Amino acid sequence: MANGQPNAQPPSGNFIKAVSAVVWKDLQAEFRSRELFSAMLVFSLLIILIFNFALELDVETRRSVTSGVLWATFAFAGTLGLNRSMAIEKDRGCLDGLLLAPVDRSAIYFGKVISNLAFMLIVEIIVLPVYSVLYNINLFQPGLLMVILLGSIGYVGVGTLLSTMSVQTRTRDILLPILLFPVVVPVLLAAVKASNGFLEGLELSEFLLPINLLIAYDIIFIAVAFMVFDNVVEE
Amino acid sequence: MFLQTTTPDTSGYMIAGYVVAFVVMGLYVASMYLRSRNLQQDLTTLEEMDKAASAQAGPAKKKSKSVTKKSVKR
Amino acid sequence: MQSKPVTLTILDVVSIILLGISTYLALVFAPTELVMGDVQRVFYFHIGTAWTALLGFILAAVFSVIYLVKKDLKWDRYQVAAIEVSLIFFFITIVLGSIWARPAWNTWWTWDPRLTTAAVTELIYIAYFMLRQGIDDPDRRARFGAVYALVGGLSAPITFFAIRLFRTIHPVVIGGANAEAEGGFSMTADMRVAFFFALFTFTIIFIDLFWNRIRLGDLQEKVEQLKLKVTM
Repeated sequence: MANGQPNAQPPSGNFIKAVSAVVWKDLQAEFRSRELFSAMLVFSLLIILIFNFALELDVETRRSVTSGVLWATFAFAGTLGLNRSMAIEKDRGCLDGLLLAPVDRSAIYFGKVISNLAFMLIVEIIVLPVYSVLYNINLFQPGLLMVILLGSIGYVGVGTLLSTMSVQTRTRDILLPILLFPVVVPVLLAAVKASNGFLEGLELSEFLLPINLLIAYDIIFIAVAFMVFDNVVEE
Repeated sequence: MFLQTTTPDTSGYMIAGYVVAFVVMGLYVASMYLRSRNLQQDLTTLEEMDKAASAQAGPAKKKSKSVTKKSVKR
Repeated sequence: MQSKPVTLTILDVVSIILLGISTYLALVFAPTELVMGDVQRVFYFHIGTAWTALLGFILAAVFSVIYLVKKDLKWDRYQVAAIEVSLIFFFITIVLGSIWARPAWNTWWTWDPRLTTAAVTELIYIAYFMLRQGIDDPDRRARFGAVYALVGGLSAPITFFAIRLFRTIHPVVIGGANAEAEGGFSMTADMRVAFFFALFTFTIIFIDLFWNRIRLGDLQEKVEQLKLKVTM
């Protein structure tokens, strides 16, 4: 950081440009290969299938465990995506290239967060109707979608920071879930509780607290990740 | 709860608890002692190697590895 | 460096003596709690280790920030020392709590906020050491460790409040009557003596272990540097 280069453009415009360049690069690469997306999607569907056997999802159980099953699925599929998206950068030397670019490093962070979030949301958008059809539950409620968005933001915000670290270690393939899961416990907890509230049709005031917690978590951790990201990409 | 007159005998649990606490602390102190002893040994070996290397190589410090190793074996 | 400072040797001896006195106070001096019996006596060490472990985790988060600002490896060694000692103490806390819970709550474990947070915290700091193990470069190891300790240190209290949304059965012994709490009790004067003495003892033991562990880290650093020099 602080390379003191004279910027022709105003710094804010430059920053947004850099972020969108990273996002655009990821989306385009993914659009061509579709390997990340298809892996995440098939993996999610398999997890739902496994839960079906493991929990005997009959009508009664379904009501109470749906949000838990959904968030477990998103969490597992999410690590797959985060790991892969960062590993690609590392292997193809893209990360080094990005670091050489005369942009603020946090632009890389936000770029990666947005593209990771995009992948995760696309997967979720496909998993939700499939789950709705398979188990005859209407998951398309605006409130639930909002909770999923908030939860995914927190998850990806921390996950992007930690996956940037984990791909630079010797044990890169196995480390991310171990680092990530204990730290995102609050997100999963609050998200499950809030989703449950919407699915059971409770009064909003009864589960406003988890929603507030999700928002607070998102803000705190994205701010922290933004401040420390320099330290995990520095060479 | 208020009318309970006999105090249950739970001393077995108490003993188990204190045994665990002392064993864990003891193991940790032992591990710290062992680690520091090993490091101390490494340090003396390395210091000898360093001395031998600088004695053999003389002022030209950047001699190859093989020289250092041979000098240690002797 | 090689020779141990006299203060530390004295502290070692004092720690052992204090531990002995504290054990005596907890096992013999303090009266037996009437409802739970002798098992209540593990409580003194349970709180003692818990308090020092939390102190260590908080210190570690502070060292994270200092390291990230100053980039001096000294703070990294302090951090590792604090986390390692706290991890050991917290493990004792969890095991003691579980042993106490068996007769008091009739179960080894419940998913109550404190217990769950304790387990998650322990896992966070185990993950911290796994992260460090996978990195060879000392500077990078220190940076990643500091970042993770900071993220973990922020997440653990949030986890606690998140689970607090659910009901707790863990007794709040200090400050506050918790009607739902099972296995709570009020302390007699003698119990208080044992209790505060245990807090004091474990604080001293923590400082002693922390200091010793820092010296171990310094030694490690020295060996690593010499290794580099010799193999050059």
